[in-house]
Formats: sequence, C-alpha cells, structure tokens
Amino acid sequence: MILELFQWLQSLSFMTFIRESGLEYPIVMSTHLTCIAIFGGLIVITDLRLLGWAFKDKSIADVVNGLRWWKRVGFIIMFSMGFTLFGSKAAEYYPNPYFWIKMSFLVLVLIHAIIFRPIVYNHPEELDASPVIPTRAKVAGALSLIIWTTVLCNGRLIGYYEPKNRGFSISKPHEQESASVGRLR
Amino acid sequence: MLLIQTNAIADALNSSEWVFPIAECFHITAFAWSIGMIAAVDYRLLGFGIQHSKPSEVLRDTAPWTLLGLAVVLLSGPLLFLSDARMYLHNPSFVFKMYALAAAILFNYTIHRKIAQSDASSQGVRTVVAVVSLLLWVSVVFGGLFIAFA
Repeated sequence: MILELFQWLQSLSFMTFIRESGLEYPIVMSTHLTCIAIFGGLIVITDLRLLGWAFKDKSIADVVNGLRWWKRVGFIIMFSMGFTLFGSKAAEYYPNPYFWIKMSFLVLVLIHAIIFRPIVYNHPEELDASPVIPTRAKVAGALSLIIWTTVLCNGRLIGYYEPKNRGFSISKPHEQESASVGRLR
Repeated sequence: MLLIQTNAIADALNSSEWVFPIAECFHITAFAWSIGMIAAVDYRLLGFGIQHSKPSEVLRDTAPWTLLGLAVVLLSGPLLFLSDARMYLHNPSFVFKMYALAAAILFNYTIHRKIAQSDASSQGVRTVVAVVSLLLWVSVVFGGLFIAFA
C-alpha cells in the first residue's frame, strides 16, 4: 500500500525528471542542505535562548518573534526540496530504516509544535515576565535541539543504506547510489 | 613521511564503517550551527531578525557559538578529508570548496566583523556585506555537497 503510493509518486513526470536529471538533483540537494545551514541555525539560537545558555541580554520575545518568520520561510523551502528528493526516489527510500527514523522524528517535530506552541512560543512575553526561565521553556528548547539533531543525522545516514546488503555500507559519499544516479555527465 | 601519516590516519578512519558517517554527522550539525549563527548576524544587517538589537549585539552574542561550531567543523572536516586524501585533492568541487571556505572565514573575521561591529555603517554597506557573507557560505555548502557528484 505505502510502497505502491511511493512508486506512483516516483513515476510522476516531475519526479522522473529530477531523478534522471544531471545537475538538477544535486542542486535540489544542495539547496536542502543550505537551508539547514542558514535557517536551521536560527532554531539553535531560539533553543539556546529558551535554555538560558545564550543571548541572555535579549528578551525571549525579541528572539522568538524576530526569528519566527525566517524559520518559517526556511522550513517551507527545506521541506519542498526534501520532498522533491524523496519523491524522485520514493520506492528506494521505502526499505531505508534511516528514512523512517527521520520521518518519525519529523512527526515528533510536529508533536513538539502542538504541545509547546500554545504554552511557550506563542507567549514569549510571559516567559520574560518570570524571574527564572520556566521549566516548560527549557524543556521545549532542549527537546527541539535533540529532535532536530536526530533528524539531521538520520537524513545524512539515508545515503549510507544499501538495499542489496540490507545494511550499512562504508561507501564514501561519491560512491553512494544517491551520487551515482545523478552523477554529472 | 606525510604520506605514511596520512595512510595511518586513513586506516584508522576506514577501520570501522561508522567512523566516517559519524564524523559527517558532526560536520553537518556543526556547520548548521556555525553558519546559522553567522546568518543571524546577516539577517540583522539586512534589517530583519532579532528585534530591538543592533548588529553589534547580535554579533557579540553569536560569536562564541559560531567559533564553537567552526571548531567542530574544522576538526571533523580534516578527518573526512584524510580518510581519502587523494580522491579529495583530485575532486574539483573539493578544491572549490576549500577556496570558498578560506574566503568565507577570512571575510567573516575581517570585513564582516568590522561592519557588524560598527553601528554607524550605512544600510547600503550592511546589505552588501550581508549578501556577500550569505553567498560565500552558500558556496561552501554547495561545494561540499557537489564533492559527491563531481
């Protein structure tokens, strides 16, 4: 059922185009990675502020509100690129355990948002009013750091899985299938 | 001598199948960390980002974390490189990345820092510096990923 859905997704003309393309595939991948760098770091800044480890002379409200839209824009670009990467090779991703770990942690990102948005992120002024940073804000920051780091690492490990061996491969990035499929000609 | 050392390090790195991927995870997490901090300064220079703060304040707050991230990047990166030095040296994307990285670090600790510290600089200058900074770091990331495809 899921596999059939993945196969259908992969067979779409746009996804086929990306898969069989030369430069486009690595450009999409680089853009995905670039978003991690220039927007993912903003998540770190927010988390560090919530934990009280950095930026302590800025109010939590200034940090959370000032970075919120940048993070949203970054997330949308990152998600579109990530979905394109996945969609173009969906059937290959299906047996990949690292892909599923990454997806599970992305679900945790969603749950994190559902839980902490109403009690932390949407009311940063309340956190600033408190003499010490409330525990719920620290928990939100710490969990966010852990969840996103796990997403990041498992995202990279996807490239190491080899379905033939049904396991892990030491093959270097340039030998991995993700590279050979889109290898420049 | 260098070759022997390189081989010894390469052997150690290649002895376990997990060493390279774990080094890569550190590399990626740390570059997200450090470049993100620099980007926060750039967004402030562009006139957005953390509210009620001057670029100099954002720079001061992020600088130690940027340095920490860069330290991990610059420790894990050479490990990845030494695992297969010859391949990397012949890889045009890797060579490009090294030039871009040198330029990005140099720019960050000279012009970028000077302009971010000077709260009197004009918006035009700030915009140019922020855009150059972002472009340099994006080039480093693109160069890094293209190593696998070149």
